[in-house]
Amino acid sequence: MKRLTFLTTTALAAVSLPSWAAPLDVEKDTLKFGFIKLTDCAPLVIAKEKGFFEEEGLQVEVIAQPNWKQLLDNVITGELDGAHMLSGQPIGATIGFGTQANIITPFTMDLNGNGITVSNSIWEKMQENDPKLATDKPPHPITADSLKPVVDEAKDGGKKLPMGMVFPVSTHNYEIRYWLAAADINPGMYTSTDLKGMTNGDIELSTTPPPQMPATLESGKNVAYCVGEPWNQQAVAKGIGVPVVTNYDIWKNNPEKVFGVTEAWAEENPNTTIAVVKALIRAGKWLDEMEGGKFKNREEACRILSQKNYVGADYDIIKNSMTGTFIFQKTDVREMPDFNVFFKYKCTYPWYSDGIWFLTQMRRWGQITEPKSAEWYAETAKKIYRPDIYMKAAESLIEEGHITSEEIPAKDTDGYKPATSDFIDGITYDGKKPLEYLKAHKIGNKN
Amino acid sequence: MADSGKDKFKYTLLKGIDFSGFTVFDPVVRLIFGEDPKKQLSDIGRYMVTPVIFIIGCIIIWSVMAPRHKTKSGEVPGPDRVLASYQNNKRFHERENEKQSDFNTDGAEREATLAEVQEQIITYTALAEEKAKAAALAAVEVQDTIDAKILPLQTKLDSIKEKSKEAQKLRRENISTLAEGVAANTAESSALITAIAEDKALKEKERESTKDLKTQIDEIRANPPKRLKEAQLASNKVADELQHLKKRVDFLTTGNRSEKVSSSLEAAKEATAAIPLASTGPEVLKSAKAAVRNTESAERAKEQKYPRAATVFWQAYRSIFTVIVGFLMACAVAIPVGMMCGLNRVFMACMTPIISIFRPVSPVVWLLIFQIIIGAFFPNPDEHPLFKFFNASWNPLEFLQVNPAMVFSAFTVAICAMWPALVNTALGVSSVDKDHMNVAKVLRLGFWSRLFKIIIPSSLPLMFAGLRISLGVGWMVLIAAEALSSSDGLGKFVWDEYQNGSSLSFANIILACFIVGTIGFFLDRIMIVLQKIVTFDDGSATV
Repeated sequence: MKRLTFLTTTALAAVSLPSWAAPLDVEKDTLKFGFIKLTDCAPLVIAKEKGFFEEEGLQVEVIAQPNWKQLLDNVITGELDGAHMLSGQPIGATIGFGTQANIITPFTMDLNGNGITVSNSIWEKMQENDPKLATDKPPHPITADSLKPVVDEAKDGGKKLPMGMVFPVSTHNYEIRYWLAAADINPGMYTSTDLKGMTNGDIELSTTPPPQMPATLESGKNVAYCVGEPWNQQAVAKGIGVPVVTNYDIWKNNPEKVFGVTEAWAEENPNTTIAVVKALIRAGKWLDEMEGGKFKNREEACRILSQKNYVGADYDIIKNSMTGTFIFQKTDVREMPDFNVFFKYKCTYPWYSDGIWFLTQMRRWGQITEPKSAEWYAETAKKIYRPDIYMKAAESLIEEGHITSEEIPAKDTDGYKPATSDFIDGITYDGKKPLEYLKAHKIGNKN
Repeated sequence: MADSGKDKFKYTLLKGIDFSGFTVFDPVVRLIFGEDPKKQLSDIGRYMVTPVIFIIGCIIIWSVMAPRHKTKSGEVPGPDRVLASYQNNKRFHERENEKQSDFNTDGAEREATLAEVQEQIITYTALAEEKAKAAALAAVEVQDTIDAKILPLQTKLDSIKEKSKEAQKLRRENISTLAEGVAANTAESSALITAIAEDKALKEKERESTKDLKTQIDEIRANPPKRLKEAQLASNKVADELQHLKKRVDFLTTGNRSEKVSSSLEAAKEATAAIPLASTGPEVLKSAKAAVRNTESAERAKEQKYPRAATVFWQAYRSIFTVIVGFLMACAVAIPVGMMCGLNRVFMACMTPIISIFRPVSPVVWLLIFQIIIGAFFPNPDEHPLFKFFNASWNPLEFLQVNPAMVFSAFTVAICAMWPALVNTALGVSSVDKDHMNVAKVLRLGFWSRLFKIIIPSSLPLMFAGLRISLGVGWMVLIAAEALSSSDGLGKFVWDEYQNGSSLSFANIILACFIVGTIGFFLDRIMIVLQKIVTFDDGSATV
């Protein structure tokens, strides 16, 4: 009993401390944010469940959305204040591919976290083409080279292999295209009249909402798909497919989801936007906190995410990828501590170079129909990626002692990450030279 | 006298039963009042006991058959799993209630609850550790059994592979010598071609021979013994409860409304007290601002409500509300238009093509159209008077959280439910007895008296028969509309479960099936009662 009273009094003492660290004068204090049932919605859910929003004086409701299109529409109509978005969504919306609306992003939610899964029969054929794959633990990364003969054979038989990705401007679309194109498989081009992106393709890549992916693989509607977690692990658990590659192998530490709001909303509610970003940064840090070489809080996060009003998949399945273990096959379980990165590597900062990479991919596959100048790329990225808001939030967090200045980019950063060649095909990407990058690829638009 | 009083009560009861359509209970009532027990017992046996036995039989068949059908998402859940999923949903609902009451509680009660929760945490922590250990142990054991089972198969597979590898090597060498031979004109080229073809066929055969073993191994891996899953589930259950208790502590301390208010007030007080102590202008300003801000946030905290997560019960309320609103909208259009159709043949001729074309349109299409059209009326839903009205804190319907998605769903229900009511009303009005109309003519009744004294009363039975169908259609349509528009309700519950794809999802979907069915049943009963009230005959044609 003594211990109990002690606990109670300490709890009370914690409560009654004066809150000198002033919360911002938020313009709007009850907010609704949307998310899609994927583990990388974690920063939003954690910021709510662990009370980070609350500490900024915000009452937040997070609401699952049925698909990316409706999520974006709900943000544009004002039904939602902001949402967990695909990196390409603010960009696509701003340049008018799909629904036109000015959407900005002050915060990158995570790195990596996607995988490409193929059906069992395709996997068998890939193993036949490349005997190295026919072992319990095949060497990684697996390229699409062994898939190429399968694609060709199907094409000769008058059939294009159907594959799935989650949204036309999603990272998944660009990743699976990158992976295929790196092995000389043409994933199909968008043109001004073909908005499905199937022109001249060796395969047929179409859109399916993430949670339905395993079902489409099972029914044969798709033979391969690229999607976020837990939908690759779900395929392994159900025994219907084999994840062959994660996007960490396609591009090491690639940006994944962002937090997006409309430009008008951010202008109307500048302090609220900063308060939201503050809470999200803290949630990211909480998720990436390490203790004794292990994630300190990820198991708790998984338990929260497995609640049915959030991701709702089984705790054990969510836990795999979130705690840094990825199951490729029942015999092939690998440690991937960087499968989901929520804070490390200064990743929550909205880098211009990330935005430009997505723009180059939109141009490469013809979603941007006209050639553009290098300046256009830089200007467009600056319109959408808003490090100014991020830095205000981060500085206020440093002042309050929640993060240190080493954990975020230096104040005088130009917003570009250094050039990198951490791609599956080894091509170098430099955000300052988008046109050179386009030229370096064999398949796709080159200017 | 006493007897007639009893009789009166009996007949009232029987009438009530007849009215509500639960005529199966009629013999029970009669038996209680001692009326012809033999006949009643036989009636009870025939119309009550037999159906009950039949349903029990169905449940037995279900529980036997379901686990036999294995799908990729696990086996089909039997009644026990569905019951478990009901309990799970109930627990989820209760947890929300607990957190809500924790959020609202204050004073001594808060401290008492906190102490209680802390105590529970201690027990559950120990239990959770124990269960986690058991699960880890089970995992190791299961892995061992699996490995032991696979080992002989794997050795066999490896030896076959080894053998075929050697055979392949031999054949390859043979082929290359033959090729050399052909080049040197010492061997027949036909022999080489046969050898290559043979090699291919043998390779195929070798692949076939290993296939069986491979599937066996895969199967063993894919179906680990059940006790592992059970141990994991048990461990998860306790860990979930522990997490819930910890969350409750939050809501009893820092997250508690009264605590938030008092801490803000405290801070405001301190800041006010600091004002005279400050020496510089900016410091004074800072303290004063802090005082104001904290007072404000205390005011805000007082108004705060616990943000509840959607539970299946809440979603059911929301669905019922939506269907009623949609149904009333349908009535508001269908009854007047139907009457005009019945009264005026020209108007009927005008409406017929519209009715025939739009009636078969799928609810999904209507939903999409309404989303676009009606969505334009709510550019800023928070500020719209309609939603302000429904979500005002004094409104008893506030807990339903009316939003545009609900409006779309209600409209979809309305347009799909409109047709049966409209057509039946038209039919009812147009088929009023000629004699009645002649009497009206003789009495020289005006249009309105004719309408209210003759036409409406005599068309009411058919009209209500139509309304009953309408409500049924509306309820079916609603579930689809909610699934698609993600308006919180039973439809969204089903869709979310499908998307969650957890081990309980399938059972939850079947649970939803029963909830939807039960609510639909009671809605139908209500319509039957209304229909009986307006019908003059015994209504036997309507059951």
